[in-house]
Amino acid sequence: MTTRPATLPVRGPGDRLSDLFWRRPRLLLALLIGPPLLWLGVVYLGSLFALLLQSFYSIDEFSGLVVPEFTLKTYAELIRPSNFDIILRTVMMAAAVTAGCIVIAFPIAYYAARYARGRWKAAFYLGVMLPLWSSYLVKVYAWKLILAKEGIVTWAAEGTHTSGILNALLSLPVIGGNSLSTSYIGTWIVFVYVWIPYMILPMQAALERVPTSMIEASSDLGASSGQTLRTVILPLALPGVVAGSIFTFSLTLGDYIIPQIVGSSRLFIGQAVYTLQGTAGNIPLAAAFAVVPIAVMLVYLAIAKRMGAFDAL
Amino acid sequence: MHSDARASFGLRLGAILGLLFLHLPIALIFLYAFTTEEKSYQFPPPGLTLKWFGVAWERADIWPPLYLSLKVAAIATALALILGTLCAAAMTRTRFFGRDQITLLVLLPIALPGIITGMSLRSAFAVMDIPFSTWTIVLGHATFCIVIVYNNAVARFRRLSGSIVEASTDLGANGFQTFRHVILPNLGSALLAGGMLAFALSFDEVIVTTFTAGQQSTLPIWMLQELIRPRQRPVTNVVAIVVFAATFLPILIAYYLTREGHETAGGGK
Amino acid sequence: MTAAVEFRNVTRHFGPVRAVDGVDLTIAEGSFFAMLGPSGSGKTTCLRLISGFDAPTSGEIRIFGEDSGHVPPNRRNVNTVFQDYALFPHMTVRDNVAYGLMVRGVDKATRRNKAEEMLSLVKLAGYGDRKPGQLSGGQRQRVALARALVNEPRVLLLDEPLGALDLKLRESMQDELKALQQRLGITFVFVTHDQGEALSMADQVAVFANGKVAQVGSPTDIYERPATKFVADFVGSSNVLPPALSRQFGGPDAWCSLRPEAIRVVEGAGQVTGTAGSARYLGAGTKLSVHLGRSEDMEISVVLPPGQAVPAPGTTVALQPMSGALHVMAGEK
Repeated sequence: MTTRPATLPVRGPGDRLSDLFWRRPRLLLALLIGPPLLWLGVVYLGSLFALLLQSFYSIDEFSGLVVPEFTLKTYAELIRPSNFDIILRTVMMAAAVTAGCIVIAFPIAYYAARYARGRWKAAFYLGVMLPLWSSYLVKVYAWKLILAKEGIVTWAAEGTHTSGILNALLSLPVIGGNSLSTSYIGTWIVFVYVWIPYMILPMQAALERVPTSMIEASSDLGASSGQTLRTVILPLALPGVVAGSIFTFSLTLGDYIIPQIVGSSRLFIGQAVYTLQGTAGNIPLAAAFAVVPIAVMLVYLAIAKRMGAFDAL
Repeated sequence: MHSDARASFGLRLGAILGLLFLHLPIALIFLYAFTTEEKSYQFPPPGLTLKWFGVAWERADIWPPLYLSLKVAAIATALALILGTLCAAAMTRTRFFGRDQITLLVLLPIALPGIITGMSLRSAFAVMDIPFSTWTIVLGHATFCIVIVYNNAVARFRRLSGSIVEASTDLGANGFQTFRHVILPNLGSALLAGGMLAFALSFDEVIVTTFTAGQQSTLPIWMLQELIRPRQRPVTNVVAIVVFAATFLPILIAYYLTREGHETAGGGK
Repeated sequence: MTAAVEFRNVTRHFGPVRAVDGVDLTIAEGSFFAMLGPSGSGKTTCLRLISGFDAPTSGEIRIFGEDSGHVPPNRRNVNTVFQDYALFPHMTVRDNVAYGLMVRGVDKATRRNKAEEMLSLVKLAGYGDRKPGQLSGGQRQRVALARALVNEPRVLLLDEPLGALDLKLRESMQDELKALQQRLGITFVFVTHDQGEALSMADQVAVFANGKVAQVGSPTDIYERPATKFVADFVGSSNVLPPALSRQFGGPDAWCSLRPEAIRVVEGAGQVTGTAGSARYLGAGTKLSVHLGRSEDMEISVVLPPGQAVPAPGTTVALQPMSGALHVMAGEK
């Protein structure tokens, strides 16, 4: 028994390296964090920096080549009416989409948070997660089929003799159009559809934190269900709503596929970026356009932070 | 409102209609893959046929994009698995200066709209004169896939009883033995789930890809072109079904993998 | 006898917190050693310093005479029974027990035999094919014990080993652990906040307070002759007498401890008189509080043997300490 040593010998390189990491835990940490940090630092931050850099370059009007000299000329171009319209249109659409998401997401989130139990809860969770994760392009495509002039909506309107309503809707100025698939209304519907899971999840998380006893207390004190909703539930759900709206707002600002497939021919920020960097070859202006959503989001985040939205993330 | 656990009729109707709103459109994709009408999206379809699956199979222009998409998704997933796991391991084991900043950095590529990631990479390629290739696509995909793997791995690391790693060391295992015999078996299903999700995300991605692909076509880009300039519409639906399945199945598997892990990982306590 | 573990002026700081503050300690080979103290007293950190999961800020720890400073935990012939057992959830009980042998490259057949042997030692023969999740808390604890013993460590560390068990199981495990330690002759070092556990199992007890060792000694020493007010208070129910009161009881002019059962309530004149307060029936006697003055610290406890009449509250009682029962606390000035 006394022959058993107090310290075991080193057996091979595995032990030796292990010993080293034990003596120098920072070395192990550096080896672990190094590769991902290098990747994100170089590829991602480097690219973001390149984006900023490009946005301060300009394009030579005659040769069409990028002039790699610092200038604010490109940003000044953003304020030209035609370009500023694009920005305004996109921001307004983002706001409208966010509002739509809040209204439709609320009953789902509220039901899932308060009433769904056990298997139903799991079903609700999957029911929201699956559309969130399933193919973006397929979802957009599905709506192209639905909203097309000869598609299911027109058919349903004819079947229920409500074509009049549909046509009245489409004949509205600005937001109307030839068919739903070529109007702002259509664009809005698809945006709402594609981003709504991003609203439901944080909303549900916030609502789950509202204690049932608080709602009971409110009705106990004589509040009607409408008053309880307005004065107790909504204020408490607000952080979740703001958190969700960060997603819906930001995602709408940056999207260019949806307005390209479903909507009028008028451009959104994303489309502007896409066309400018591609066929037009004006990378500086494309980069400056891409900075706009970042700037808008920074303002939005600053407001959201003041409202305490980050506690719900 | 009373404290009983029954929702009002209006609320239930709203919730159910909301869920239907989320799911019905996808069902339509399947229906239109069987329509006999190929020039428009006529509803209801004038007739049903299976011929489009055969036609899609014969179309030579579908195969290269599919192959490219699979290749990119596979490489990006592998990279994300390595980088995401390393990052998660570093973040769970120690506290150090700049931890929060690194978390933000990992999250950023998915938190900012895809167009910013895409345009940033496009700018970088322009600044550095990098020609488009499979690798430029992989670069973008791996960047936003890291966070998916990272999230799954970090959650599992947190659930693992911290002392089982110490127990292994205590019993004489060196770091590599502990990794192989204790950490990996417990992390396995979370990594598989993370990998599945990353694969699905990469396979389906179109926004960043359009900026990093140049003239190359992945399957989503092929689909996008068909959407803008349709040729045989039902064929596009057949492809859409393939894309849908390629993202849907991994997600479902990932969901069950992590759910089961919830029960087994707690077994050490 | 050689020292199994020796702490030489060991300090461990976590930022501004001195978790372990200048500890000197010698743990004899083959002893059953308890580190007793409230949470945050530094006892668990000391255990982790022995196992190697923590390193001292200054000072040194010798294990069987060797400085352990450069030896990582996996190469220390010291094994631990973790507080939450830390069984590997993905392995069978047998693989859990055989783990230490596997990572040391022992062949499969030997591993299997040794694991079965260990499982019978902890009375779990036949449980080898189960998963930890299928066992009860007590059974998991035994598996953790078998797993830690399979490598034949020279020191076995136990971190609050019985903390997660219910009372009845805890008592039977105390006896088993004690018997096991005597049979194997391995040095056991265990950490606990339960003084009853420490006193009933250990040969030697170190009482920790604020990162320092307040007293080391046999259970009898600790219980009957506490060195400080803290030990007297934490370990037992001794009366702590300030110097003035000590003199009244016929002792020296110093802080003393006096066990309640070493004071008799006598008829007529005693050393000290006081007023009887509330009484509490304990089964093996009745505990009576006696007020010697107005202030709170002038109240002491006395245990009346069964059969003796309990004085009504408010009556005057005379107290007489047993000879030699008054103990000077050397650690208090």
